[in-house]
Amino acid sequence: MLRRLFAGRFWALVRKELQQIFRNKQLIVLLIFPPTIQLLIYGFALNPDVHHLKLGVVDYAQTAVSRSLVAAFTENQIFDAQTVTFDEKILTQQVETGKLAAGLVIPPDFSRAIANGDSATVQVFIDGVDANTAGIANGYINQIVQQFSRQQLQPDIPPLVSPQVIFFYNPGLTSSWFFVPGVMGLVVTLIGSVVSSITVVKEKDTGTLEQLLMTPAAAWEILLAKVVPLFVLLMGDVLLALTIGRVIFSVPFRGSFLLFMTLSGLYIFVGIGVGILLATLCQSQQQVVLTTFFINLPMVQLSGAIAPIETMPKFFQYLSIVNPLRHYIAIIRGILLKDVGLEALWFNVLALACFAIVLLTISIKRFRSQLS
Amino acid sequence: MTTDSMMNLSPARTDAIATVPPLIQVHNLQKRYGNLVAVQGIDFAVYPGEVFGLIGPDGAGKTTTFHILAGIMEASGGQVDVLGKQPRHARLDIGYLTQQFSLYLDLSIDENLRYVAGLRRVPQADFQVRRDKYLKLMNLDQIGNRLAGQLSGGMKQKLALCCALMPQPQILLLDEPTTGVDPVSRREFWDVLATLASEGMTIVVATPYLDEAERCHRIALMYEGQIHEVGTLAQLRSHLGLQRLEVRTPDIPATEAALLPLIQTETTGIADVQTFGDRLDVLVANPASAETQVRQAIAQQAISLTSLQTTAATLENVFVARLRQQGSDPPFIPLPRSKTPPALTAVSDSRIAIGAENLDKTFGNFRAVKGVNLAIHYGEIYGLLGANGAGKTTTIKMLCGLLPASQGSIALAGQRHDLRNPKLRQRIGYMSQKFTLYDDLTVVENLEFYCGVYEVPSRDRRQKIDWVLETCGLIGQEQMLTGRLPGGWKQRVAFGASVMHEPEILFLDEPTSGVDPLARRQFWRLINDLARQGTAVLVTTHYLEEAEQCNRMGFMVAGEVVIQGSPSEIKAAQPGQLLELRVDRNQVASDVLKTHFDRWRVAIFGDRLHLVLDQPEMEIPQVTAILADANIHLKSWRPVPFSLEDAFISVVQRTESGTAHLAV
Repeated sequence: MLRRLFAGRFWALVRKELQQIFRNKQLIVLLIFPPTIQLLIYGFALNPDVHHLKLGVVDYAQTAVSRSLVAAFTENQIFDAQTVTFDEKILTQQVETGKLAAGLVIPPDFSRAIANGDSATVQVFIDGVDANTAGIANGYINQIVQQFSRQQLQPDIPPLVSPQVIFFYNPGLTSSWFFVPGVMGLVVTLIGSVVSSITVVKEKDTGTLEQLLMTPAAAWEILLAKVVPLFVLLMGDVLLALTIGRVIFSVPFRGSFLLFMTLSGLYIFVGIGVGILLATLCQSQQQVVLTTFFINLPMVQLSGAIAPIETMPKFFQYLSIVNPLRHYIAIIRGILLKDVGLEALWFNVLALACFAIVLLTISIKRFRSQLS
Repeated sequence: MTTDSMMNLSPARTDAIATVPPLIQVHNLQKRYGNLVAVQGIDFAVYPGEVFGLIGPDGAGKTTTFHILAGIMEASGGQVDVLGKQPRHARLDIGYLTQQFSLYLDLSIDENLRYVAGLRRVPQADFQVRRDKYLKLMNLDQIGNRLAGQLSGGMKQKLALCCALMPQPQILLLDEPTTGVDPVSRREFWDVLATLASEGMTIVVATPYLDEAERCHRIALMYEGQIHEVGTLAQLRSHLGLQRLEVRTPDIPATEAALLPLIQTETTGIADVQTFGDRLDVLVANPASAETQVRQAIAQQAISLTSLQTTAATLENVFVARLRQQGSDPPFIPLPRSKTPPALTAVSDSRIAIGAENLDKTFGNFRAVKGVNLAIHYGEIYGLLGANGAGKTTTIKMLCGLLPASQGSIALAGQRHDLRNPKLRQRIGYMSQKFTLYDDLTVVENLEFYCGVYEVPSRDRRQKIDWVLETCGLIGQEQMLTGRLPGGWKQRVAFGASVMHEPEILFLDEPTSGVDPLARRQFWRLINDLARQGTAVLVTTHYLEEAEQCNRMGFMVAGEVVIQGSPSEIKAAQPGQLLELRVDRNQVASDVLKTHFDRWRVAIFGDRLHLVLDQPEMEIPQVTAILADANIHLKSWRPVPFSLEDAFISVVQRTESGTAHLAV
C-alpha cells in the first residue's frame, strides 16, 4: 500500500511541489518574516491604553491647592505637564496645532473658592480629533477631579461604595494579550491565502497548467498535492506565531495544545481554500496577490482581531458571522486565554468546517474548468 | 520608391564593406556561467547597412552573444565595441528583439508604441511620423487600436519590431524573431527587414529557419561557443566545395537507405545524403561522376527516379554537412517499450483514434473553429497546418478535452464522452505549444515528475529517463535547472517527457519550434518510429518541409480546414506551374513581380524566387521584360514541383483574398 503510494501519481505531484517550494527562497522568506514583523508591530505599536498625554497648564491661582490639582493630573503618568504658561492663547494655539492633547486652566480664584467651601471651576480643553483617546482622557479627567474634590472635602472618610473589580483571564489588562491572538489569526489568513494562490496561479502564468490537466491526475489530486506541503509550512507559521506571543509578549497558553493545533489545521484549510479560489479566478500572479489583499483587508477588519466586534454597528456584527477569521480568533482567544474546549467553541468549529468544505469544493470544480 | 533606393544600395554595399569601419566589432569574446563555457573566444565584425546572420544549433551560444551585444550582460573576457563604445553605453542606439514577445498584451498597438516612445523620449511630431511609417510598412496601420493580446504571433513580432524601431536605433539585434511564426508571416517579416536594411539599418539576426537565413548578406556559423565560418552564402558554399544533386523519388526513405552506403568521400566523392521532405539532397564534389552512381544505386533497388538535378548547395546543406562533420548529429534511439505497442494489439486495426465531426468553437462572438471534420487512424501521422491564429491550437485543445467544443462531436480512442477521465488520459500524450516543463525543477526532476504522474512502472523509470537524456545529449547535465536550457533543448526534453508513458495517441503542438535542423530530423525519426508502432500522431508545425513526413494533413485558414489530403494530393491540387527563378537581386525582384502578379504567385525561398504561372512558356518573356525594366537580370529559371511550403503560401493567400475555391 505504502509502496503503491510512493510510486503513484499523488506522490509525484507532492514531490514536485516540495522541490519547487524548497527552490523558492522568496516563499521561505514570505513564510517567516511577515508573520514575525506583523506580530511585533501589532503587539507593540497597536496599544489603545492612554498614557503620557501631553497636558498644558495655565495656573492663574499659583497656590498649594492648585499645584496639588496639577500633581493629581500628572502623578499617575496619564498626563505629562508639557507646557506651563500664563497665557491661555498659547494654550489654545498649542491644542489647535496638536502639540498638546489637553489643556487645563485654573482660574485665579480657584483656591479661594475651595477654601470658602464654594464650588470651583476649572477649564479643560481636549483635542477631540482622536475621538477614542479624547473619550478616555475625558473619563480620566473626571475621575481625577472628582477624587481631588472628595479629598479636599473630607480626606479621611472613605466613599460609601467602592467597587472591587477583578479582571478575568487578563488580570493585568495587558492589551497585547488581546492583540496577539488576533494577529495570529490575521497572519495565517494572509500568508495562507497569498501563498496558496501564488502556487496555483503560477501554473497558469507559466503555461504548465495545460500540460498538467492533460495528465491522468485528477483536479483534486493536483490541488491536494499543492495543499499538503503548504499545510505543513503554515502549521510551522502557527507555531512561530505562538512562540513569539509566548516569549516576547508572555501571552499565556492555558488550554489544550492538541485542540489548538487541530483547529488551526482546520482553519489553514479555509485560508488555502480562499487562496485557491482566487487563483482560479485570476490570470496572473500579480492579479492574484492584489485580489488577495483586497479580500483580506475587510476580513481582518470584521474579525475582531483589532477592534472588538461588539463595538461595530449591528449590520457588521451579523456580517462577521460569515467571516471565518472571526471564528478562528474566537477559538484562539478561547483556548489560549480562557482554557475552554469544544463545549464552548463548537459553533465556531462547525462554522470553520463548513467554510473549509464549501471553499475547497468550489475551488476543485473551478480548477478543472478554468481553461475555457 | 523603395525599389529605387534598394537598387542603388545593393551593389554598392559589397564595396563599401571593405572600406567603411564596422559598427560592431567583436574580438575574442568569452562568456562563462560557472563551469559552463557558453562562448569561447569569437571574433566578428558587422558593417553599416548589413544583415548579419548568426546561425547555429541550440545551445551554440547565440543568445548569450546577443545579450552581450545588447549590453544587458557582461562578457567574461574579450572586447566588444558597438558604435565605438561599450555595448552598455550604446544601448540607446540598439533595438533588441527577443524570442519572447516583449509587448504589453493588454494595451493596443498604438498604446504600446506610445509607451515605448514616451520611455525613449521620442518627440510627439516624430512619433506620429514614425508610427505611420512603420505601421504601414508592417501592414498594421489599419488596426492601430486592436489589443496586442489579440494579434497573431507573426503580427505580434512585427509590432515588437515596430516598438524596437521607435527610437530609431542604428542597430537591430533580433534573436530568433520568427520562431513559431508561420511561413507567410515569416516572409512578410523578412520583407520588412530587407526594406529596413536598404534604408541603412544594420541588423544582426539569429534564426533556426535556414531558408530565411539565406537572405542575410553575411552569415556566421556558430557551434559550441565558437564561430567556425563567416561569409556570404556564395563563400560558404564554395568553402564547402560541394554541389547538390536534388533527387526526387516516390519512396524517399527507401531511396535514402539505398544512397547512404555511397557516402565515402575518398572513393565516390559523395559527402552526405540529406532528406528534405519530398526530396533528397546528395552532396557531391563531382556532380558528373556522382550522378551515375546515384542513378545506379536507385535502379538497383527498383525505385523509379522522378527527377535528378544538379544545383548549388543550400545553406541548410552547408549547415547540416558541417555539423555532421563535427559529429554532433544527435543519435536516434528508439523509445524503450515496456507495454505492447498499439500496432500489435487489437486496438489499432484501422479504427479511428481521433475523430471530429463538425467541430465548432466560439469565443464571445468570434468563431475560432468552423465545422472541422477529422478522422485520424492508429499508426497515422496527421499534420494540422495553418497560419498563426488559424485555430489549430484551439482545435487540438478541443480534441484532447481541454476545451469544451461549442458544437460538434469528438471521439478519442473510441470514447465519445467523458474525455477527461484518467484512464483515457493515461493513453494520451500531449505536448503543448510552449512551456511544458517546470523551469524551477532540474531536467531529471521534470522527467521523474512526468514518469510519476503518468504512473510509469518504477522499474522502467530509470531506463526511460536515461533514454530522454541520451536522445537529448544531456547526459551529465541532468541536474541543470530546466529554465537555463536553451529553447530548442527544452523542446527536446518536453517531447521526451510527453512520450515516456508510451501513449497510443499523441498530440504535438509545434514540437519542433525553435529546434535546430539536425535535432528536428531526430524528432521526426522518433515520431515516425512511434507511428510505425501504431501510435496515432496529430502534429502542427511551421516547418512545411518536415510536414512532408505526415501521412495526411489539413490546411487551416481562419478556423476552417480548407484542403485535406496526403502531401502529394495537396501539391497536385495546386493550380499553375511553379518556376524557380535565379535573379541577381532577389528582394527587389520579388517586390517588382508582386506589383504585376497576384501576391500569392510570388514567394522568396532563400536566395531563389518561386513564381506560379499558368502558362510559363508564354509568360516568361513578360517576366524577363518586367525584371529588365527594373534593372534586374534573370540568370536562370526552371520548372520545379510544388513543395508543401509553396502550396501552403498559395492556399493561405488565395483563401485570404477569397479565391481558394480554385484549389479545392
